[in-house]
Amino acid sequence: MINGNLKATYAADEKIVDNRYKFSFVWGLAVLAALLPIFANDYVILVACQVGIMVVAVVGLNVLTGYTGLMSLGHAAFVAIGAYGVTILHHAASALSIPEGIQPFLTIPGAMALAAVIGLIVGLPSLRVKGVYLAVATLSANFIIIFLIELDALAPWTGGKTGLTTVDPSIFGWVLDTQREVFILIAVMAFSTVLLVQNLFRTRVGRAFIAIRERDYSAEILGISLLRYKLTSFAISAACCGLAGALMAYFYARVLPEQFELLLSLQLVAALIVGGMGRTMGPVFGVLVIVLSPELLKVILSAIAGDSIEAAQFRAPLQEIIFGLLIIGFIMFEPLGMTQISDRVFRALNRWPFARG
Amino acid sequence: MTKFNMTRRSVLAGAAAGTATLGMPAYLRAMSSEFIIGASLPLTGPFATAGQLIAPAFSLYEKIINDEGGIAGTKIKFSTEDSGYVPQNALANYQRLLASEGDKVVAYYGDSTGFMKLVGPELKGDQARMMTSTSFASDLANPETHPYQFMSGPTYEDQFNILLQDIAAKGGKTVAFVHSNTEFGTDPIKSGQAKAAELGLEVVLVESTKPQGADIPTHVTKIAQANPDYCILQGYVTGVWPQLIGGARQFGLTTKFMGTFWGMEKLIADRVTAEAGPFLEGYQGVMPYRYSYDTENAPRLQQIAAISKVALAGTPLENYFPTWGIQAFASLDILTIALRRNAEMGKAPTADNLAAALATIKDVDLGGYFGTNISVENNKVGTGRVYQYSAESRLFTPTSDWLTV
Repeated sequence: MINGNLKATYAADEKIVDNRYKFSFVWGLAVLAALLPIFANDYVILVACQVGIMVVAVVGLNVLTGYTGLMSLGHAAFVAIGAYGVTILHHAASALSIPEGIQPFLTIPGAMALAAVIGLIVGLPSLRVKGVYLAVATLSANFIIIFLIELDALAPWTGGKTGLTTVDPSIFGWVLDTQREVFILIAVMAFSTVLLVQNLFRTRVGRAFIAIRERDYSAEILGISLLRYKLTSFAISAACCGLAGALMAYFYARVLPEQFELLLSLQLVAALIVGGMGRTMGPVFGVLVIVLSPELLKVILSAIAGDSIEAAQFRAPLQEIIFGLLIIGFIMFEPLGMTQISDRVFRALNRWPFARG
Repeated sequence: MTKFNMTRRSVLAGAAAGTATLGMPAYLRAMSSEFIIGASLPLTGPFATAGQLIAPAFSLYEKIINDEGGIAGTKIKFSTEDSGYVPQNALANYQRLLASEGDKVVAYYGDSTGFMKLVGPELKGDQARMMTSTSFASDLANPETHPYQFMSGPTYEDQFNILLQDIAAKGGKTVAFVHSNTEFGTDPIKSGQAKAAELGLEVVLVESTKPQGADIPTHVTKIAQANPDYCILQGYVTGVWPQLIGGARQFGLTTKFMGTFWGMEKLIADRVTAEAGPFLEGYQGVMPYRYSYDTENAPRLQQIAAISKVALAGTPLENYFPTWGIQAFASLDILTIALRRNAEMGKAPTADNLAAALATIKDVDLGGYFGTNISVENNKVGTGRVYQYSAESRLFTPTSDWLTV
């Protein structure tokens, strides 16, 4: 009977993907993503890009909420900083005559750094408050950033309420001016972010985050500086969301303040809860559910009820109700999220036919 | 086993068919069995009421046009999806429709200024379609920046222009602008100030408020201090009427309040009057179209009234069709003219061809939505007139002639 996997070397023990089923799954996803630009239609590319951008943002939220145990309801603010930051930095870089082909190598890290700095400021209350209180404190960040973006005094840079036309990035002269091309950038960034954050939790910093999540007083007694690590967690988390924002700006031809309102912050949290907090694949599964379910529901219900106007009037609220029930169902029946379900499936596959999960 | 026989006759027939297909004019190959007009409407979310009231206009329009024999013989079909008033959702709806229906999609009806601005730069090559929407945002009426997007009425700037001309004509001296702190609210304020100066009107107050909320009474105090002859409200979907206008009446102010398109819906005015009293008596505003009950000399409105009576029997829309739906009708009729003219010219219904056909719409009788012939200039119809609400008759009646700006 199989009880586990034999790990005969340290290298085997350190493997992220430690059995062949997980290996096939992860690389299957990667190959699928690589093939999408070749065979998928524009709509599939659009949805895939939305998934990719959200994955990067939710991975960021996972660092803070999932691994460090700090609740945030204001992460859309960092996405906004990234989106507006990258666009403004592109304009600044052009004004400084920096060649377009290398601009993204400066503007993307620049936007991430800007988001990280704002993250540090927003993270300051986390040193005094926790839980719901911190959630409310971070919530205000969302409103303040949107207020600043819409402020008339900053409108020459941010475009105010009318938004900002974004820039098509050029990578060494390759201009990503179609959604298909931007998808390649998004897929690479999403894959890299998931991998980097996974590895972060195999370092001292990552373990400090987890220690803070488990009990922050104990962590401090063990010598972990709460000031340093809580703020680091906020900065890394905000930087990831800043990257998501930058990708969003590259993907959409225009950024508008209403794209970054509370709804986005709530979607990020919902995706994380559905996917599984503090797990590598949690954000990926969560985003797949949150982004794809409404789209699939539209397709399925339109196939059942037809696409007439009367049917659309009936389908629209029904879609919302089913989506709501789906989220409630996840929280009730699998509070640990989709990752827990996938764990059971992989365990069952690994031990088949001796055990079923 | 089937034997494949190739005779001289079959070769000739095949060659003839092949030549015919290849030699067929491009527009005939592009012609599809039906024209699909896509639409995103806020059927859920904060503006669900508006979306649910606009939606019947599409099914009625589909019936009217198809009963007439379609557009140049081609039937039309609407494909409507919910956007929840989220621009990205509407963009996803648009791209999903293009992916599934391709060239059959000839036009799209958008649900917001946000969507129109988000999708604008995406309308390139085979992704471009002719578009109209619920928005009257001034930025959109620009063929240079938004070549494929049009509106069937005056922009908010034009609507302010019409109101200010009416105020000047009625001898008003002072005016206040009270607007929400949204893009919708701020849209016509600057040009309104310039126009007021040009007409010799003094703008005594420009006040920005939240779109709705509890701090409205503080703004009433400011209006009372400025005590203008007229006060134009912009950027509200009526949420502030009881607080602002009702509050001003409690103060004893005689200021005349005015609004623009989205603040002129009879169904809402009736509800507010029923719930909060008759303070909307004398409320005025600009409306590009006739109300659906004003059917004299308006054959299209008569047709809509007749078909609504049957198709919408038992619903609140049986005897009155909301202005929001009339706007959709007018937009679709303009689109239909462009599609017909384009078909007459024998061109494929591409966005570029339809934009060119749209620009040929000059001095056209649209069937009575407007009391005058209209022209599409700068992708808009700059025509409207001022109406006044009566709390007693519960009707909006005209108080000015049709003005084109």
